[in-house]
Amino acid sequence: MATPTEDAHRPPHDVARSAAVLATLGAALALGLYGLWQLTHERIERNRQAWIEQPLTALLAPMKYDNDVLADVITVVSPDVLGADAPASIYRARLAGEPVAAVIRTIAPDGYRGPIELLIAVDYEGVLLGVDVLRHNETPGLGDVFENREAGWLEAFRGLSLSNPPAGRWTVRKEGGAFDAFTGATITPRAIVKAVRRALEYYRAYRDRIFEADAAGEP
Amino acid sequence: MSEFPLRSDALLLLAMCPALAVSDTVVNAVGLGLTALVFGPLTAVTFGALRSRLTPQTSIAGLLLLSSGAVASVELLMRAYSPILYTNIWPFVALFSVNFALLDALMAERSTAKSTRAVLRLCAILALALLLLGIARELVGRGSILHGAGAAFGDWAQALETKVFAVDMGFLLGMLPPGAFIALALLIAALNWLKRAHSAST
Repeated sequence: MATPTEDAHRPPHDVARSAAVLATLGAALALGLYGLWQLTHERIERNRQAWIEQPLTALLAPMKYDNDVLADVITVVSPDVLGADAPASIYRARLAGEPVAAVIRTIAPDGYRGPIELLIAVDYEGVLLGVDVLRHNETPGLGDVFENREAGWLEAFRGLSLSNPPAGRWTVRKEGGAFDAFTGATITPRAIVKAVRRALEYYRAYRDRIFEADAAGEP
Repeated sequence: MSEFPLRSDALLLLAMCPALAVSDTVVNAVGLGLTALVFGPLTAVTFGALRSRLTPQTSIAGLLLLSSGAVASVELLMRAYSPILYTNIWPFVALFSVNFALLDALMAERSTAKSTRAVLRLCAILALALLLLGIARELVGRGSILHGAGAAFGDWAQALETKVFAVDMGFLLGMLPPGAFIALALLIAALNWLKRAHSAST
């Protein structure tokens, strides 16, 4: 290995070599990652689209529309009506240019373990087409039963509106409302019911503006 | 293992922390197990090859560079090929790889071949432990095995989903974090019992 004469020069020599190795490693990794990104970014983008597109088209299935709903979207911020500081997206469905339905992507900020991301579809008259949960952190087995044990729970929203049930009953049964809670979990259903009611109120207040606003393009 | 600052079972327990979090279902456990099996040895081999070309001071920098590259690659691959798995376990994969960096750094005293073998063995043990924990917890918590496999691994895996028994609510303790610690304790107890039975018979 190293002879004594080489040893005398060792520190500067090694530092330079280490730096060169590190730089090469960094460059190689950057190049490799760039290649990997090239390979995967289209798929990732498609997944991202599908993630929202599948539930969106499922909710809008009963309606007839002919526009590109995913692209016909506006972003609104309304902490006072929607109850969340985060911006909400509203997708608009139209038939021959006439508005037929809107899908509001908002959050229920008061879930048991953090916000619950919701997709709330209403027809032009403000009657619910359906509600879907996009993402949540609720306790497995208790707060997430709308995913399996009580899979029909979210379906019960279909056909409801701000006048059916009346405004005072838009909460869980325990609080005199019209909605069942889950066994062992009241906070989650209450948060969802409240967020849906708020979305309906927002829609009623701003319907014309929602459909007139220019599409902000893809979010 | 006298030159080793941490006993390997202590290190294994340390590495289990993120593992405990994701072993609530078999699918999540297998996802993390596979990541460990592929990227643990891969980074160990690459680091082993680089180590001799770096001074001890810069080898940590190289290791960090290598780990972050590996983590970024896993992220891209996971988001492209299993977005559901990505949402479920991603933060823990990132945490997990820090453990690998630690592991590789601790192995620095050993020869490359020896440390690679050790990392490979540890990864295999981890993957196996994850699988066992995942099976136990999902069975107790949901009464199923590989629930959600179709969504996470592709349609071919749909057939693997098995409902072992129907439960209304399941035994929730299995799914919740405390269940992970209980299951791990039972696993270690079983291993100790096996060890003792083995040494008694020979």
